[in-house]
Amino acid sequence: MERLSEQENLFVQMIALNGMKSLANERTLQAFYHILRGRRANQTLQDVHLFRLYPYYRLFPHLLREQWEEILQQLIGQGYIREKDLDRNKTTFVLTDEGEKWVSQGWTTYGVDQWLGLFHQHPWVNGHLQTFWLRLHLMVQTLSCLLEGNPSFYPVVQDRQIQSFVKSQLHDPTHRKRWMDGVFAELYKALEVLPSDIQPLLVKQFSGAHQTALTMQQLAYQEKLPPSLIRVKWRFGVASVMIQVKETPDLYPLLAALLPEEQSGGSQMSSSAQETYRLLQKQIPIEKIAQIRGITRNTVEDHLVDIAFHEPAWDASPYLTDEARRQILETSARLHTRRLRLIREALDDRYSYLQIRLALAIGEARR
Amino acid sequence: MSMDKLEQMLSSHFGYSGFRGGQKEIVQKIMQGKNVLGILATGGGKSITYQLPALLLPGVTVVVSPLISLMVDQVQRIRQRRTISAAYINSALDPTETRKLLTEIDQGRYRLIYISPEKLQQATILQRLKRRGVSLLAIDEAHCISQWGHDFRVDYLRLPDAVQQLGNPPVLAVTATATQHVRTEICRLFHIDEADVIAQSVNRPNIAFDLIEVSSEAQKREHVLEAVKSLQGPGIVYGRTRQTVDQLAFACMEEGVLRAQAYHAGMSAMERVLIQEQFLSGELDVIFATNAFGMGIDKPDIRYVLHYHFPGSLEEYAQEVGRIGRDGKPGYAGLYLNPEDAAIHQYMLANEYPVYEEVFRFVQLLATSSGHISALELAAMAGLPDESLDMLFFYAEQHGLVSQLTKTKDQYRYRLEKVDVSGAAMQISRTLEELKRTRKNKLMQMKSWLHEKDCLRQALSFYFEGQRATEYTAQCCSCCGLDRSFYEQQPFTQIQKKPDHWDLHGALRRLLPVRKEKEAITIE
Repeated sequence: MERLSEQENLFVQMIALNGMKSLANERTLQAFYHILRGRRANQTLQDVHLFRLYPYYRLFPHLLREQWEEILQQLIGQGYIREKDLDRNKTTFVLTDEGEKWVSQGWTTYGVDQWLGLFHQHPWVNGHLQTFWLRLHLMVQTLSCLLEGNPSFYPVVQDRQIQSFVKSQLHDPTHRKRWMDGVFAELYKALEVLPSDIQPLLVKQFSGAHQTALTMQQLAYQEKLPPSLIRVKWRFGVASVMIQVKETPDLYPLLAALLPEEQSGGSQMSSSAQETYRLLQKQIPIEKIAQIRGITRNTVEDHLVDIAFHEPAWDASPYLTDEARRQILETSARLHTRRLRLIREALDDRYSYLQIRLALAIGEARR
Repeated sequence: MSMDKLEQMLSSHFGYSGFRGGQKEIVQKIMQGKNVLGILATGGGKSITYQLPALLLPGVTVVVSPLISLMVDQVQRIRQRRTISAAYINSALDPTETRKLLTEIDQGRYRLIYISPEKLQQATILQRLKRRGVSLLAIDEAHCISQWGHDFRVDYLRLPDAVQQLGNPPVLAVTATATQHVRTEICRLFHIDEADVIAQSVNRPNIAFDLIEVSSEAQKREHVLEAVKSLQGPGIVYGRTRQTVDQLAFACMEEGVLRAQAYHAGMSAMERVLIQEQFLSGELDVIFATNAFGMGIDKPDIRYVLHYHFPGSLEEYAQEVGRIGRDGKPGYAGLYLNPEDAAIHQYMLANEYPVYEEVFRFVQLLATSSGHISALELAAMAGLPDESLDMLFFYAEQHGLVSQLTKTKDQYRYRLEKVDVSGAAMQISRTLEELKRTRKNKLMQMKSWLHEKDCLRQALSFYFEGQRATEYTAQCCSCCGLDRSFYEQQPFTQIQKKPDHWDLHGALRRLLPVRKEKEAITIE
C-alpha cells in the first residue's frame, strides 16, 4: 500500500487540478487557492459563480499558502500544467494533455463526482455547512449527556455563538423534552438513506456521554483513505442531511431548526450588498449610493455584480441594454473566455468593465 | 474558619479527600487576609488554593491567567463540576458580551472571574470589579512577571498597578517553577513577606530521570518510536517543531500498534479539544506534542514524558516532566540528546528578539504617526512579527518614549513624549539584548544539566532550591544507574482491533440512549 501521506498528496493535487482547469488561460495561479480556502472577496465569490466551482468553495479552509505553492510545483513538475503569461505581471496556466489524462483517470478511480455533484444542484448548502454541522454536533453531545442523566460535560464546540444557539434551543422545558425524545429518530431517518460508507464518517465525528469524537485524520487512518477524501465524503454526508431537512422540513421538525436562517429575501449576498440593493430599488444612482454609504464607487459596482448573480428579479436595464448583454455574451462564447479585457478589446472598448461583468453575471445566473 | 470545615468543603465541593502538600497552609493564610506566594509542583493542585477561598470570601475572586485557551478550559471544567459560578473576561469576548458580563458581575452572579492580564488594565473593568468588591486577586503562572524568568510577559508587569487600583485586595501568586531570583522578585512586586511563601520541594520522588545520547537524527527517531512501544503508557513525547511531532505521530499511527496522535498549535481549535479529551478519557496511548500541550491538563496517570528535543530552560523541563505520575505511582522521564539539537534553540533565539535596525524603524514609525497606529500596518512597515509589538510598546513606555498607552483590538494609541529616535531605539535595544542574554543563560543552564555526571535529580533541585534533594521511591536517574525495563509494559500487549462491522442503529443508540431520567434538567 502506498503510504497514506503520499496518497493524500496525490489526492489533493488531483482535486486542485480538476477544480482549476476551468480557470486555465483565464485566471492567475492563485485564484483557485482563494476558492479552496473560501475567501470572501468579491472576485473570489464571483469566480465561483462564473466558473461554477461551487463544490470547491471552502473545501480546504486550512490550506496554507506554502502547501498550495508545493501543489503547484508538483503539478508543473509532473508536466500536468504549464505556466503562461496572462497580462502584465500575472501568470496563468494551461492544462497539458498528460494533465488532462491523469486527472480524469484519478477522478474516476476515486469516484469524486458522486461526492461533489450535489453542491452544483444546491449551491446554498456550501455557505451554511459549517454552521449546521457545529450546531448539530453540539446538540448531539448535549442531548447524549442529558439522556444519560449527566448534564455536565465539556463542550467540544467552543464557538460561543453556536453554544448560545444550542442553549436557546434547549432552554424551554417542553422544547427540550421534544429534542430528547425525538432526536434519535430524526437523525436515524436522515442518515439511514446515506451510503453505508458515509454514515460512520458522520456518526464517529460526534461526541457524547460515552464517546469522544474522532478527528478527520484519525478517521482517515481507520479507513485507510487520504484525509482529504474523508473530508470530501463527510461533506457530502452533511450536505445530504441538510438537503433532506430543507426539502422536507415536516419530516424533520427538530433538525430543521438547526439550518442557519436565510438572510433576508433568501439571499446569499453580503449584508452590505443587500443595503446597496435596497438603495438601488429606490432609483438612487451609483455615485450617490457610494456617497450615502461612505464606500467607493468600485465597491458599489461589485455589489451590482453580486445583485445580478443573486437577484433574478433585478432590472439591470439602466446599466446594460439587452442588446449590449447579447453582444457581450456572444463575444465571450465566441472567444471562449471570461476575461474582461479580451472581451472589451474585441468589442472595441464599446462597453465598460462594469457592463461586461454584469452581462456575464446575468448570463450565468440564468444558466 | 476551622480546619475541619475547610476539609469538609474540599470534599463536598471538589471531591478530594484531603489537602495535598502546601494547599492547606496557603488557604489558611488567604483566609487571614495575607498576601501569599505559593510554589506548588505542577499538578500539585494550584487551582484549589484560590477556588476554595472563592467559595468562602464575601466578594469576588479574580484570577489572572496568561492564556485564553487555558482560561476557557478552566471555566468550562468548573461549570462542568458546578461548584462555583465562574466566568472569564478576555479579548475573545466581543463588546456586547463584555457589557453583559459586567452587568452580571454587578448583580453578583459570579464568585470567580478569570481575566487576562491586559483586560485587567482597562479602567472600566477595574472600576466595575472594584465596585463589586474583590476579596482576592489570584495570579496564576506568577513567574511570568519576572523579566529574568523563562516566560516573561510584559502585561504581567502592569499587575501591581492593577492591584492598587482594585483597592489593594489580598494577592495570591501561584507558580510551579520559580528560582530563588524569580521568587524574590515576585515577593517584592506584590509585597509578600518571606514568611508567607509556601514552597513545596520541586523534587518528585516517583519520577526517574533518564538521559539517552544518540548520534544521529535517524537513530533518535528509531529510539523514540521503540520507547513509546515498550513503555507503559499513557505518555507524552515533546518536540520543538510542529513538523517533528507530526512526523513522529504519523510514523506511529501508520504502524498501527498504538493509539497515537499529534498535537500542536497549527491544528484547529476543535481538533485540539478532541485530542485533549481523548487523552483525558484514556482513548490514546501517546501524544506527540509541542509545548502547546499540557498546561492545565489534569490527568493523574501519565506514566512517561519523553523529550525528542530538550526544552529551552530547566523551568520548562520541570513543568513538562512534572505532568508525570500525579497519582504518586512510578513514572519515567526520558530525554534524547543529539549533539545537533542545540541548533534549534540558537535559531529560535535569534528570531525572537528584534535587532537594533528593527527597533529603530519601530521608534521612527511611532514618532511620525500621530498618536495612533494599526498593529497590522506597524508590523508590516517595521518588518516585525505581530507578537513582538506588545513587548516593544511596553519598553517604549518604560523608557519614556510614549505615555498613556492603550491597545484596542488592533490599534495602539499613545502620546509621544520625546523624539530622540536613535536614543530611544538604543535604550530599547539594550533592554532587549539583556532579555536575550537571560534566555541564553537559561539555555546554558539547561545544557549544563544535560552534561551532569553525578545525579540528575540532585542537580535539578539544586537549580531551583539551592539544595540537593535525594529522595526517590523507585529509581533515581541514569547517572545513578537506571533499569528502564522497570517502566515497560508487562507483558507488552498489542491492541487488537476488532473488525469494524458498521451498524447505524447501534452506533446511534450508543450516542443517544433512551432517556434515563424523567426529571427536567437545567442547562448551565
